[in-house]
Amino acid sequence: MTEQDTTAEAADPALRDRLVDSIRDLLPQVLGREVAGVTADTALMDALGISSTTGLELVLELEERLELEISVEELGRDDFGTVGSLAAYVAGNLLTEA
Amino acid sequence: MTAVVGVGVWVPEGRVGIEEVGGELGLSGMQVKIFRRYHRLGEIARDPHGGLAELLRGALDGLDALRGQEHRVRYVLHARTFPTVVPYPHDPVREVCDAYGLGHAAVFAVGHHACASGLLALDAAGRLLAAEGDHDGLALVLTGEKTFTAEARLVPGTSFFGEGAAACLVAATGERDRLLAYASDLRGDIDSGDEEAALAFQRVYADTLAATITAAVARAGLAMDDVGVVLPHNVNRVAWHQVCRTLGYPRERVVLDNVAATGHLFCADSFVNYRTAQARGLLRQGEPYVMAAAGAGSGAAFSAMAFVH
Repeated sequence: MTEQDTTAEAADPALRDRLVDSIRDLLPQVLGREVAGVTADTALMDALGISSTTGLELVLELEERLELEISVEELGRDDFGTVGSLAAYVAGNLLTEA
Repeated sequence: MTAVVGVGVWVPEGRVGIEEVGGELGLSGMQVKIFRRYHRLGEIARDPHGGLAELLRGALDGLDALRGQEHRVRYVLHARTFPTVVPYPHDPVREVCDAYGLGHAAVFAVGHHACASGLLALDAAGRLLAAEGDHDGLALVLTGEKTFTAEARLVPGTSFFGEGAAACLVAATGERDRLLAYASDLRGDIDSGDEEAALAFQRVYADTLAATITAAVARAGLAMDDVGVVLPHNVNRVAWHQVCRTLGYPRERVVLDNVAATGHLFCADSFVNYRTAQARGLLRQGEPYVMAAAGAGSGAAFSAMAFVH
């Protein structure tokens, strides 16, 4: 298990839920189309067609929207698995207080 | 077994921020921000006043091992990422060879392994010399290209190309630096320039490059723990972090110093990083190290070489 996973799991669940909501709000802007029925379990790549580049765009848009700084150093392909896994990564890798 | 007799490199002093290069190429602010924040790219080396000849001259001027040995050079190989590096009918490689007393050598280009063509050229140079059985003969591998087209400035979603050059003097045998093994995995299935091929390359990149490095190290009779340092190609930091995670190899032992300072110098990266490692005292006598590179164009190539210093 990596250090990053440990940090993500230790992150505040309420913060993770708020981040899921924010990601859901940002998805239409990043994808350039409306998306319905998005939950924490929605697969970003397989269900929504997010690429690694649009996934990164999503993270950086999230940073601007929430006025937070996120460490992207350890961000890997697995973190883009679902909306929830990305929210967990962000929650565990904040450089500023949420 | 092939030996590297000496390495000369040259990176011009000129630097351009990736925001400026991104602007030239029509990238969005967000795309450039991803390059800076995630890929950890910063400045790109460029020589606005010189051509390819000036780049190669710079590298040759730094190759002390060539002085007085020019007559022994049988082959000059220019390893290229792109098949066409100058407009027709210019031939700066030939001009530079004539100017440096190498006009007698067989001069040719080596390519089609994209940015891994530098390692292919090293292997070819050593094998050509060995096949002749001429133990006095030497070969010269030149690398370096100009960012003279939009295609030669950007690796979409991955990196920016920069300008720099290396000249590597090769012998068929020798003690330092001795090539122990070469491994190359060619993926002809990733053979188009479209977005799908680019995504396929990204998907297999870390696993395939890690497997190729492991193969070269195993062929050398070594384990990754024996490898003192990895001299990478400078595509970006995060790609190497993924390769390190796959290998279980400490990222601190991959020489990534030049990624943010120069950009991806086509086939010259590993050699420029060799000199950086040398300057930092990271190459220790008797200790193995690895050069590794990968690239995609008309087919993808993943290559690694294990050496002992």
